[in-house]
Amino acid sequence: MTTVLEREDILLRMQEELKRALAKPREQRRWVMVIDLRKCVGCSACTIACIAENKLPPGVVYRPVMEEEIGSFPNVTRRFLPRPCMQCDNPPCVPVCPVSATYKNADGVVVIDYDECIGCRYCITACPYAARTFDFGNTYTQGTPVAEGLIVGRERADDYERIPSFEYGEAWPRERETSPIGNTRKCQFCLHRLNAGMLPACVTTCIGRATYFGDANDPDSLVSELISRSNVMRLKEELGTQPRVYYLL
Amino acid sequence: MKPLRIILWVLIALSLIVGAWGVYDRLVNGHENAAYGSYVVWGLWVAMYLFLAGTAAGTFFFATLDYLFRVRLFQGTGRLALFATLITLGAGLVHIWFDQGHMERIWKVYTRPNPQSVMAQMVWGYTLFGLLTTVMLVIALRVGRREGGAARARRWLAFLSVLGLPLTLFLSGGVGALLGVEISRPFWHVGLFPVQFPVFSLASGAALMLLIISLFGDAHNPQQAQQLRVLAIATVVLQVVKLYFLWADYSQSLYGGLPQNVAAINAVLFGPYWWAFWILQILLGSLVPILILVLPGVARRPAWAGVAGALVLFGFAVARANIVFPALTVPEIEALQQAFSDPRLQFAYFPSPMEWALSIGILGAAAAAFLLGYTWLRLSVVQQEVA
Repeated sequence: MTTVLEREDILLRMQEELKRALAKPREQRRWVMVIDLRKCVGCSACTIACIAENKLPPGVVYRPVMEEEIGSFPNVTRRFLPRPCMQCDNPPCVPVCPVSATYKNADGVVVIDYDECIGCRYCITACPYAARTFDFGNTYTQGTPVAEGLIVGRERADDYERIPSFEYGEAWPRERETSPIGNTRKCQFCLHRLNAGMLPACVTTCIGRATYFGDANDPDSLVSELISRSNVMRLKEELGTQPRVYYLL
Repeated sequence: MKPLRIILWVLIALSLIVGAWGVYDRLVNGHENAAYGSYVVWGLWVAMYLFLAGTAAGTFFFATLDYLFRVRLFQGTGRLALFATLITLGAGLVHIWFDQGHMERIWKVYTRPNPQSVMAQMVWGYTLFGLLTTVMLVIALRVGRREGGAARARRWLAFLSVLGLPLTLFLSGGVGALLGVEISRPFWHVGLFPVQFPVFSLASGAALMLLIISLFGDAHNPQQAQQLRVLAIATVVLQVVKLYFLWADYSQSLYGGLPQNVAAINAVLFGPYWWAFWILQILLGSLVPILILVLPGVARRPAWAGVAGALVLFGFAVARANIVFPALTVPEIEALQQAFSDPRLQFAYFPSPMEWALSIGILGAAAAAFLLGYTWLRLSVVQQEVA
């Protein structure tokens, strides 16, 4: 007779923990992301989910997945490294901004005030993780034929591209020369989703359940448990940036 | 009108036509037709800003030779130097203004500045410097036009020069600090950048004065030959110092072997644009002008001195590009380039036609402003005497 072991999906657990964290004052939360590199299969579903969630135009990517080949035949393997914004506790991008348009908010997430950003891109050069990209105003349908009739041409597909992004809890329609066009953009842990009680899009989409998210100030949270393990590392720790994204090796 | 002036005006007219297209494209299409992306995020305009703003700071020093240090040889060149400072500063700032994603928000640097940001400090510094230079120029232009008051004006000019000198040091050093504070770019994160850049500024200022005096000076004036000689010596010495700095930077970095640093230097020395370094920056921008200026028979001819000055300036513009671009062509994390395919996510850069056009237009407008100002404001000694 077989026994079915009942185990709660970690997404449900993280969802519960999220509700618990949201009940606390913002200053008492410490949002942390943990990515288990042993589970990541390099499907890039998180990248796509992020693009769909934040309506990212061409050239703007918040969470690329880097692929690395290790060893040589016959002892060869591949490693995948998703790279969201590290939400550093000592972010090099913040002090360089000439108008304080980028800062750490009360939750400890590094955010950009699109209405204040002048688009100088100094913060992009300052980020050691290349986690910031510039919105040049391009669209995917730019230069494509205006097809009429049977196939979907630029005029209809274009509508999709103009659906507003809801980053930071505001609607940001893509209109010429208005923000976020001409601004620096970056991952913000899907703050608009968090505030609505939802996990970041990359977390819910991960097919291998390799990305975890939660409040590290909650000792009972999954992320607290994971980042206290010995196999945890952070990118470029030697720079003193103190990233809030941890990797499990 | 002298043939040289005619040639200059024809070149200016052409550059303004090209520039008008660049401005139109930039204003109508934003940054869509720029070649820089999110990895090589600063391009030609930033390099030109660094070059022109640095040249402005260096040129100001030559105005103080007249107004503060009272060097007899440079008596009467102060107005010319101040006007050239304003023009180059303006051209540099217009470049960086067009580079902003939201040009219309530039005033926010005044209303909500971040004092910690070197960029904000620079904007405030440029504003003060621009105002100070303008006031000095106005005072300098009034000297001699009114009866009496010349001594008082001279005192004011000396006082403002005293204020201006540390400001130029702050601004030229600040350009070095703008890049030097970035821990993410080992190629820029050089502690001596704020020390080196004032020397670069002085060198480019000397070259600009060499060019201006050779083009607009009075060839029959014996003082002019001596001025050119002194500027030539200064240019040669500063070029040698510049080459030494370059050697020190590159040799130490290569010896140290930090991968990101080595990759950036290799990109400069042996990358796709190796010719920009070896041929434009080193050969044409440094060695040829040194050769011209150390040959006594050649250096005393204003035309050759002017050519040397122009080549040094050209070399400095290329050098600025060779500081800005290579650091950005090295991925912060390996495999980043393959992680996401997009024309904006590339680690290679060559300016687009729109970028070139805008830059050419700004330089043309600066040259036009200088020529018009030179004609109307009676900037040179010869004009002052005639007046």
